[in-house]
Amino acid sequence: MERTEAIVLRTTDWSESSRIVTLWTRELGKVRALAKGGRRLKSMFDSALDLLTVCGIVLLRKSSGSLDLLTEAQVSRRFPRLRDDLGALYAGYYVAELLADWTQEYDPHPGLYDEAVATLAELGHESGLRVMRFEMVFLEELGYRPALERCAGCQGPLNEQRLAFGATTGGVLCVACQGRQREHRPLSVEAWQLLQALRGSGDEWRRTWASAVRNEVRQHLGGYVTTLRGRPPRLLPYLGG
Amino acid sequence: METEPLGVIARLMHELGKLPGIGPKSAERLTHHLLQAPKQQVFSLAEALRAIKEQIHPCEVCCHPTEHVRCTICADPQRDDSLVCVVEQPRDVIALERSGSYRGLYHVLHGRLSPLDGIGPEQLTIDRLMARVRTGRIQEVIMATNPTTEGDGTSLYLSTLLGPLGVKVTRLARGLPTGSVLEFANSQMLADALEGRRVL
Repeated sequence: MERTEAIVLRTTDWSESSRIVTLWTRELGKVRALAKGGRRLKSMFDSALDLLTVCGIVLLRKSSGSLDLLTEAQVSRRFPRLRDDLGALYAGYYVAELLADWTQEYDPHPGLYDEAVATLAELGHESGLRVMRFEMVFLEELGYRPALERCAGCQGPLNEQRLAFGATTGGVLCVACQGRQREHRPLSVEAWQLLQALRGSGDEWRRTWASAVRNEVRQHLGGYVTTLRGRPPRLLPYLGG
Repeated sequence: METEPLGVIARLMHELGKLPGIGPKSAERLTHHLLQAPKQQVFSLAEALRAIKEQIHPCEVCCHPTEHVRCTICADPQRDDSLVCVVEQPRDVIALERSGSYRGLYHVLHGRLSPLDGIGPEQLTIDRLMARVRTGRIQEVIMATNPTTEGDGTSLYLSTLLGPLGVKVTRLARGLPTGSVLEFANSQMLADALEGRRVL
C-alpha cells in the first residue's frame, strides 16, 4: 500500500463504472492504476480523478503484469486559471502529454514533480514562457539537456555573430559545424540568452523578453522535442511563445 | 455441420458481451433465452436493432438522434427558440428533459474537446452550432458540458467563438444539491457554491 501525492495526467473509461488513470507522483514517478467505481458520482474518489488535478492517493501495488489498484483519491489542489484561460489549459495539457508519454513507470523524479505543480499553478500569466521553463527542466531531468555553452557538434567555442540550433545534434552549433551539419536553423543572440536563462537555476528567465525572441525559442524547443520523440507532440501546435 | 450452430451461438454471445453491463455470464444467459424465445419475438428484436442504425440520424437542427428530419424538441412550436443548451451527449438531453424545468432548444456536440486524445473541433458538431447562432434568432447559449477539465475547456473554447457574435453565453450553476447537508459536501462543492452564491 502506497500513500502519495499525484497529478492526474490522463483518464480512460474501462467499464461502466471504472476507469484507468495515469498519474504523475512525486515518490513513484508515473503510475497507471485501475480506479474501480471511478466513473460513479459517489465513490472513494469524489471528483479527484479529473485531468490536471493534484490529489492525495492511496495505491495498492500489484504484482508485475497487472494494473495497480487505486483505492482512494482526494483533491489537494486545483488550478482555477485552467478553467478560464484556454491558452493556460492547453499549456497544462502539454505538460501532461510530456509526462504521460515520455516517462517510464516507477521512475521517480521529485524535482520534475515539483516543477510540474509549480508550472500548473503559474499558468495563466506568461504561460508560454512558463511552459518553456518546464520543458527545459523536463529535458534536463530525462537526460536530453541541450548543449548551449559550447558547440553541440565539436565542443568548441561558439561565435555570437553566427549561431544556429541543431535539433538532431542536440544544441547550439559553431560556424564550422553548421557547414558540416545539414539540419540546423539560425539562432539569434537573444534567443540563445533566453535558452540559457531557461536552463539556469535563477529567475533570469522571468524577466521581460520580446515576443519575437519567445516565439523563436518556442520554435527551437518544439523542433528539438519533435526530433527526440520522432513525431510532434499533439499539443505543440496549440502553444504560444 | 457440427461447428456451424456452435459458431452462431458463440457469435451472438460475443456480440451481446460487447454491450455495457453485459459480462460473459449475462451474455450466455441472454443467448439461451433468445434461443428458447418465440421466433417472432426474436425477429422483432432483430428488426428493432436494425432500425436504430438504419432509421435514426442526427436532427438537422440540434444533432440529437431522431427518426425524422427534426427531433420532437426542435419541431415543438411551444419551445423557446431563443435559448439553446449545449450538451456533450444525447443522454444529457434526456437528463435535462427529465428535470422538466427547461423549455428551450438543445445542441448536441457528440463529445468534448480532448486534444490529448486527438479530438478537436472538427470531430464535434461545433460548425453546426455556429451556423445556428449566425441565423440571429438565438439570444442565449447555455453551456451544459460536464463540469470536468475537458468539459469546461470545451465551453471555454465555444465561448471564445460565440462571444464575437453578440450572443449571451452562460454556464450551468454548480455547487450544493438541494436537500444535502453542508457537513457531507466535499471541498469542491463548497468552493463552487460559495463562488456561485446569489443575493437573497
